[in-house]
Amino acid sequence: MQIQVKCSCGAESCPEWAIVELQGAVEVQPSFQDRLQNLVIGELCRPSSQENYTFTVGYHELTGSKVTLKKPLLVLKKLKSMDLDQGSENGPAEVELDVIGIIRHKILFKTRPRALISKPQPTVK
Amino acid sequence: MATDEFIIWSFMGCSGAEAVLNLQPDSLIAIAYHPHFGSHDDLMLLEVDEKLLPDVLQQRVTLRGQPDEGAVLCTRSKTYAIKFVGTSNSSFLIPPSDQFAPSQNSLVCDSKVYDLQQLAPVIKVAPGNMELNEVSPRLDKLKLLLSENPYRTEEVLEMDDWDMGKSKTGLYTWDDLVERVQASNDELRAGLRALSAVEIDGYWRIVEEKYMDMILRMLLHNSVLNDWSLHALNEDEVVRVLASDGFPQKLALHCLDVYGSKMDGDVCTSYVWKLDGRKVCVHFGREILREGKRKMENFMVEWLKKIPDGIQASFDMLEGEVLTEKLGVETWVRAFSVSSLPLTPAERFSILFRERPKWEWKDLHPYIRDLKVPGLSSEALLLKYTRRTQPSLDAEPVFSAR
Repeated sequence: MQIQVKCSCGAESCPEWAIVELQGAVEVQPSFQDRLQNLVIGELCRPSSQENYTFTVGYHELTGSKVTLKKPLLVLKKLKSMDLDQGSENGPAEVELDVIGIIRHKILFKTRPRALISKPQPTVK
Repeated sequence: MATDEFIIWSFMGCSGAEAVLNLQPDSLIAIAYHPHFGSHDDLMLLEVDEKLLPDVLQQRVTLRGQPDEGAVLCTRSKTYAIKFVGTSNSSFLIPPSDQFAPSQNSLVCDSKVYDLQQLAPVIKVAPGNMELNEVSPRLDKLKLLLSENPYRTEEVLEMDDWDMGKSKTGLYTWDDLVERVQASNDELRAGLRALSAVEIDGYWRIVEEKYMDMILRMLLHNSVLNDWSLHALNEDEVVRVLASDGFPQKLALHCLDVYGSKMDGDVCTSYVWKLDGRKVCVHFGREILREGKRKMENFMVEWLKKIPDGIQASFDMLEGEVLTEKLGVETWVRAFSVSSLPLTPAERFSILFRERPKWEWKDLHPYIRDLKVPGLSSEALLLKYTRRTQPSLDAEPVFSAR
């Protein structure tokens, strides 16, 4: 089997994606577990002209920095051709991979979160 | 960590990766789950070395492999194994604003309202990425496929039946091979050449040795009859004469290609070929040993008798093709061809040490010099698969299995 790797964005203008990376996982409150969509995770802030960042998630703050990846990451999207005739005759449908983006930098938070105690308490009844 | 701010918002006209990467000093941006956030298994990350990037972006790479094989990525000339590397970190993937632009409107509510220009949506959390490692092409499979149905003497006679649509099992076109063999195009071409394969009626074939022997002997016979020089054979004439003897043109040409080399010359007229003495000598050595081992003296007499005039034979031409061994006072020769051995180092060394527990360097070298593993020197290969002992300082080192 051979899968063609396409690049529909064009070599010169491959759009740049971003990664915000942190250790561990972000726990969502149980009531939002099934509907993450549209939910704000946190605020990314660049306090100074240096490439240092903070990421505030709830009452936790992470500090990190922007790093350039040693090797870029390509964002690939799997495309299945919708040719019905082919699908039934020749087994599985043809698959192609399309390069839709490139990632050269990420904002990396390597540290454990620091609690922001000065913030007001959540509204608990 | 907990997301305590339950903010639901509209993505109409929101920003994306650009805003994150170009965040100005003293400013902030909210990171939020995209309206279409999900596992998006069809989105994958592939780590690519900067120097491979142009090949990928200019659509010169393909993935190859059968469903039961690990996929490889092939450029025009090289093969890379693909490995998935997982991460326990949370990698929030943020597309640029013009990709995955959400279409529906959502409501802005709760405690805080963000300026839409200051929202970056996360489309998925990447569980890891794929890495590439250069590997040797998997050409043992090529040999296996082409051995299914080699071109035989009888086939020449059956040509007519064959055209009638007789069984074509075990026959492979270039495209069939690309689908089945995990190698780049250049490596596949080199592999076909190393196997002395030839494209006949659109199918890549290896030709039975018996048939190659027939055609080579006929060529040598004709060179005597027609007073041709083995150092300057006229392609058109050779092919015409061999065709009149019943050999298809394609195979006559293949014979020149296997046992000779094309000379640079006047392209306007016919090509001129020079027979390669070593290849001709090796061929006849193999022919003699096909039936089994021989005493050295008998072998040499018989071998030299077969070598045509104008070609000089010497026993070292047979390195990598034959092994000699002492049995009592006699020295015996038998066939042991490097071309019959597997191409993967572990299997190659395992067969070599089964053949002989101890090897001297001069004997071992012809059987391993074709092994190439990306990122591993030949010294490193020896270290990995052999144990080297040297009885005394001036003695030849001996290699045994690890």
